[in-house]
Amino acid sequence: MLVMKNMNKLYFMFIFLLAAHQSIIHAAPMNFKGSTTSMTQVSKDYISIESSYALSIKESFGAKTIKAKGNGYETTSGEIFYLRKLMRKNTIKSQLNLWLFTRAGFIDIKKNKIKEHHVYLSPTLQFDYETKRVYGMFSHQVLRAGHENFDTTKIEGGFSFYEAGYTEIQPWFILKTKNINSLNNEIKYTPSLRFINKSIFMDAGISTDGDASFHFMYTF
Amino acid sequence: MKKIILLIAIMSSGGHSYALTQKIEVLGMVCAFCAQGLEKNFRAKDDVDDVFVSLENYFVAIESEDGIDNKFITKVINDAGYDVRKIEIFPGTMSQIRIENEK
Repeated sequence: MLVMKNMNKLYFMFIFLLAAHQSIIHAAPMNFKGSTTSMTQVSKDYISIESSYALSIKESFGAKTIKAKGNGYETTSGEIFYLRKLMRKNTIKSQLNLWLFTRAGFIDIKKNKIKEHHVYLSPTLQFDYETKRVYGMFSHQVLRAGHENFDTTKIEGGFSFYEAGYTEIQPWFILKTKNINSLNNEIKYTPSLRFINKSIFMDAGISTDGDASFHFMYTF
Repeated sequence: MKKIILLIAIMSSGGHSYALTQKIEVLGMVCAFCAQGLEKNFRAKDDVDDVFVSLENYFVAIESEDGIDNKFITKVINDAGYDVRKIEIFPGTMSQIRIENEK
């Protein structure tokens, strides 16, 4: 048991170092062609680390690991994913994107001392819209593992406090809502502050049930 | 016509520089985190001497000795996920663009 715990810690540390070494990430799940993007998201009940490489502006592939718990469940998963931009609409003052993730991986589920191991194939559809002052995002992931349903829905929206120049830091207020079936009894609301400049994307928030979360991306 | 514009550009620079500045209006460029790919890819080209990104006014300016091919410019913009609205030769220097557009 102790060995397993240490293995888990080492596993996450390795993935984190890998991610930190390559770079770290963003809001849309892909940056420019040839870029490596990495992202980590940390809260009391949810840790994820991912890294991806953009083959073109329309497609990238990557790997992600997640550790989550809630409602008596504890899950650990690892996956590879292929991301395809289905649509992009640029106007002078806005951009609108539609993305499709296809994920394949394994998940370890622990509940009431019963452990299960499953492999999964999971699609995610994401839609986002942004201007220099307004941001909105909706995503839905279908994830079924055995008889368990871990479908995840996210809705985010917010505004920037002021318009910033290319080399300046731009602060945003973002309200995030998230629900993971089986893990969450109710929708989680997380008001967050987001700071963006040309290399760094970070946000931090505290959910209405007191769970702090931190999200950091860097690209170089 | 291009030569006349080039001549005006050189004359208006006061004889201090013979560089050519191209101004590209970009569609969809709404965040610095995403736009840095443009700067990075233009700077990676040997012929490009300087790059300026204006989020406020939705354009990118590049300075080079002889000008950069419009096809290459369009490719860099498209590879970063954006679209080109207009490419023009700016009748002035990069310094002037900076002064006019930096806060």
